[in-house]
Amino acid sequence: MRAIVAIAANTFREAIRDRILYLFLGFAVVLLVGSKLFGMLTVGDETRIIKDLGLVAIQFFSMLIAVMMSLLLISREVDSRTVFNILAKPVRRWQFLLGKYLGLVAVVAVNLTLMTLLLVVVVWVYQHELDFMLFFAGAMTMLEMAVLAAFATLFAVLTRPILGSLMTLAVFVVGHMSEDLWLLTRQLPGAFARAVIATAYYLLPNLERFDFHTEIVHDLPIPAAAVVWAYVYALVIIVLVLYLANLRFRRKDLM
Amino acid sequence: MADIQLEVRDLRKTFRPGLFESDVEVLKGLSFEVRRGEIFGFLGPNGAGKTTTIKAITEIIFPDSGSIRVCGLPHTDLEAKRRLGFMTESPYIYRHLTGREFLRFCGELLGMQRSGLEERISGVLDEVAMDALADRKMGAYSKGMLQRLALAQALLGEPDLLVLDEPLSGLDPVGRRDVRDIILQQAAAGTTVFFSSHIIPDVETICDRVAIIVDGRVRAVGSVAELMSDEAEWSEATFTGAVPADLRTPLLASHVGSDASWARVSSAHRDALIQELADRGARLVSLNPVRSNLEDLLMRHYEGMGS
Repeated sequence: MRAIVAIAANTFREAIRDRILYLFLGFAVVLLVGSKLFGMLTVGDETRIIKDLGLVAIQFFSMLIAVMMSLLLISREVDSRTVFNILAKPVRRWQFLLGKYLGLVAVVAVNLTLMTLLLVVVVWVYQHELDFMLFFAGAMTMLEMAVLAAFATLFAVLTRPILGSLMTLAVFVVGHMSEDLWLLTRQLPGAFARAVIATAYYLLPNLERFDFHTEIVHDLPIPAAAVVWAYVYALVIIVLVLYLANLRFRRKDLM
Repeated sequence: MADIQLEVRDLRKTFRPGLFESDVEVLKGLSFEVRRGEIFGFLGPNGAGKTTTIKAITEIIFPDSGSIRVCGLPHTDLEAKRRLGFMTESPYIYRHLTGREFLRFCGELLGMQRSGLEERISGVLDEVAMDALADRKMGAYSKGMLQRLALAQALLGEPDLLVLDEPLSGLDPVGRRDVRDIILQQAAAGTTVFFSSHIIPDVETICDRVAIIVDGRVRAVGSVAELMSDEAEWSEATFTGAVPADLRTPLLASHVGSDASWARVSSAHRDALIQELADRGARLVSLNPVRSNLEDLLMRHYEGMGS
């Protein structure tokens, strides 16, 4: 356990010292400039627009961190051969992978917390009351990012960094089009094309399950079952994807 | 407690680079043993399989077949890994960490207790003379400093077996002497040291035993004295009044200088050369016996790679 925590802490420290949290500043600029701009363009419902913009920006910047870090996650350790030093010590390969994964999740979590806090403050400035549902939205986005980070870890051991990042990005994009994929399987004429799209539908996660933006922005009720189901769904995918990553990594020759 | 601290048996490894490239068989049934308390040199040219063997010992790559035991345990056992200290060739670093943070990280990976860790870190930093530089970022270290810090992390867990991949390469003479001294101190304290190198004088100076590895196989194992016992002695003669090309005595090498000629002859033909030079009225200026050294032995093995 100590080895996992040490590797996670080192991954986290490396990302922080690489100034990856500067992305938070990007979010702050988007949020503050965007809210001012939309505040001028819209009449009445500007808080809703700020919330909507803020939640999408949080999701986007968190995804950006996961994708960027998947570039560095394993490959930097392997390319710079620091991984040799780790694996020669009493550390199992799955512990290394899990440590790297948790380090990535921790970086996303810190950034996401800062962004959510900023959004809550901005909304408070406009609305003069604290919207605690924004914290809930942040938690659900974190769940989504934990799933995405698992895929980033899998791709980091499967392929080269750039391709791994592109694949992580593809999971994010396609994961938000899951419902469309399902509709497509019913409308496509060819059986082969239908089979390909259906395979993608079943293989890739449905990230829309973690998206409660509409309900939060428009003060709609959120079914508890949907939230519980989202947690179970995320947990199953994370365990499965990390298991696959370990399956590939545990006997991989590192050159 | 095992008397054999490292046992490698019939190790084989073939790399398969890809569909359109041919397989590369790097280790071809490599076997050797390292005894408790000795400094064991692993000597061979680039590409002989030294680093591949070390990567197999440290579980960075997986051999196709064969077995490795560290301190009497399978090398994959966590206890075996705890008792092994490893330093990579050209130590690679976390640029974002200071030397002390790096050692703390290594101590946590080794599962060392927090209470004694800081004290142990100070101890190894002192041992490798890096205590004054320990709070600087590793990105600012010179190669020699990195090498010493890498050695410090290998020593941190007080290992029974030290595995060092080319610990002396790329260092200036002072750095080499420092690292050599640390290896000797460790051996004196009872640690078994296994290190690969292609720097022959260092191996000759500090190793109790040596394995010569060529083309993925161990060609010879023994102390330097044992390995050299079968090696021929030569004599080198300097003379005037005759040219080597005219001599009937078989020469191993020769050179015609402006003042005198020089020839190398095997011990068996030394007397014949002296006699022939006398018969020709040539003057023998000097005749020195020369014993072949480890470098000559290695060169013979290297040159025989294709045979």
